[in-house]
Amino acid sequence: MAKVEVKAEVTGCVWKVEVAPGQSVGAGDTLVIIESMKMEIPVFTEVAGKVGSILVAEADYVNEGQALVVIET
Amino acid sequence: MSWDSEAKEIAERRRFAEALGGPERIERQHATGRQTIRERLHQMVDPGSFQEVGRLTGSGQYTDGELTSVTPAPYVMGLAKIDGRDVAIGGEDFTVRGGSSWGSDRRKGGQGGFVEDLAFNYRIPLVNLIDGSGGSVSSTSRRGYASLPGIHGFERSCELLGHVPVVSAVLGSAAGGPAGRAILSHMSVMVKGSSHIFAAGPPVVKRSLGQDLTKEELGGSKIAADQAGTIDNVAESEADAFAQVRRFLSYMPQNVWQMPPVIASSDPADRVEEDLLSIVPRDRRKPYNMRKLTSLIADRGSLFEIQPSFGRAVITSLGRMNGKPVGIIANNPMIYGGAMDAAAARKQLHFVDLCDCFHIPIIFLVDVPGFMVGLQAEQNATLREGMRCLHAAMQATVPILTVIIRKCYGMAGMATNDKNGLDLKIAWPSAEWGSLPIEGGVAAAYRRDIESAPDPKAREKELEAQLRSQASPFRTAEAFAIEDIIDPRETRAYLCRFIDAAQGRIATSLGPKPKYGVRP
Repeated sequence: MAKVEVKAEVTGCVWKVEVAPGQSVGAGDTLVIIESMKMEIPVFTEVAGKVGSILVAEADYVNEGQALVVIET
Repeated sequence: MSWDSEAKEIAERRRFAEALGGPERIERQHATGRQTIRERLHQMVDPGSFQEVGRLTGSGQYTDGELTSVTPAPYVMGLAKIDGRDVAIGGEDFTVRGGSSWGSDRRKGGQGGFVEDLAFNYRIPLVNLIDGSGGSVSSTSRRGYASLPGIHGFERSCELLGHVPVVSAVLGSAAGGPAGRAILSHMSVMVKGSSHIFAAGPPVVKRSLGQDLTKEELGGSKIAADQAGTIDNVAESEADAFAQVRRFLSYMPQNVWQMPPVIASSDPADRVEEDLLSIVPRDRRKPYNMRKLTSLIADRGSLFEIQPSFGRAVITSLGRMNGKPVGIIANNPMIYGGAMDAAAARKQLHFVDLCDCFHIPIIFLVDVPGFMVGLQAEQNATLREGMRCLHAAMQATVPILTVIIRKCYGMAGMATNDKNGLDLKIAWPSAEWGSLPIEGGVAAAYRRDIESAPDPKAREKELEAQLRSQASPFRTAEAFAIEDIIDPRETRAYLCRFIDAAQGRIATSLGPKPKYGVRP
């Protein structure tokens, strides 16, 4: 089992967390939506697996490159 | 009287050249996952097309006046064909003295070398296969004195950039002169994991600054391509790097006096893609996939992205419309809503210059809310980089077509117009524009009005709604302040019609484009 960190591509504020720990996800699924530059930017997973830990909460400010969710493959 | 013995000597001397730096050095090169220069040339060019020049160059070893061996010069070059078209091509031989400079009478490669003269005089593209670190202090001891930088200067390398396509593949660790030449190109590519590029490598950095870094940490593709944009594209292997070089050249004319190469297109110019009608969400806060949008409009399979991992708020691709080469510049709403940051500005500037130089018309697919804002953006000189990008667009004389997909705001929006030409701008119904977006703009312009209202929030919303109704693109079209609004499904046909028609105009304005003035 490998752990893959899914990172924010943009700096912004966590608008919504779309998944819960333990949930199964497919490649291309939206995990988190970040509000940045007045846009709702979806953060996708590139790998399929199970959601491990969620490292952020709604309304948190996150930086570009910050890990948001760990996917266990 | 025959010259048979001399012919034999030529054959023998050629065998020394083919042997490069010897089996041990070749094995070491292979052990690092890299090919030798001769293997690279073989893989890069059309089969059997390589006509080498200077195969006898090297240091001869003699015993009693009889030749015993020749250590070849660490640079192999000549004339070859790529997709049936002539190119000047050469590269350092790392198996001989690490590909370092060679003290020959006339230089074979590198800045000011024969290979550059060949590209310049015959007006054919130059392909640099770079694997070396340039000058060595040992040349000082050989010469007996230290020479000034620029004795073999970059004047020819720089001049080439206005005449013929120059492509550089960085295939090993490049520092010094070879690193500089990699930058003096229209497109550069490096191999993930096995190529590095820096002004100076780890030993110099350790000694100068005490920083202890590996080559990969200092100048691997993560730094040099993704973060710094020093090199444009990343390849998975040497073969992939050659494929990218070939692909890039397929859009380029041989020189600035020729038309970009047109191919027969099997993709109908009036192809209608239903997906275009719904690709932009009605909710203007929701982004969409601009790469997909672009691929639906361009000739099928024709897109080749330049700098895909750098300045990602903008997507710059070479492509074709009805078989004619075009440069497509599209904003990426997934990255900061498509706002132009310093990296995106640099990338767009280079791409505009590239297309303008080689008479490749530009299509803008616009969704830009303006320049990137915030402390980080100011620290990165976004305003200056953005204005430099706008300045490049104002100097460009190649035909430009503007399609406004969604947002077109501010000075970044202005940089998408064809100010020296027809200035044809067409819009999708999802388009919106202005000097700045309504949100925020309202709060700034009507501050007193909003503050003095009994319910300031409600008043702000009311003003926004009022302005938004006036911002409908149809009202602008009524005034012919936008030339057309089209059904998104018509985009391909509309653009193909104008790109076809622009060919005649392009054919009458070929040649070099010297530019004047001071770029801000």
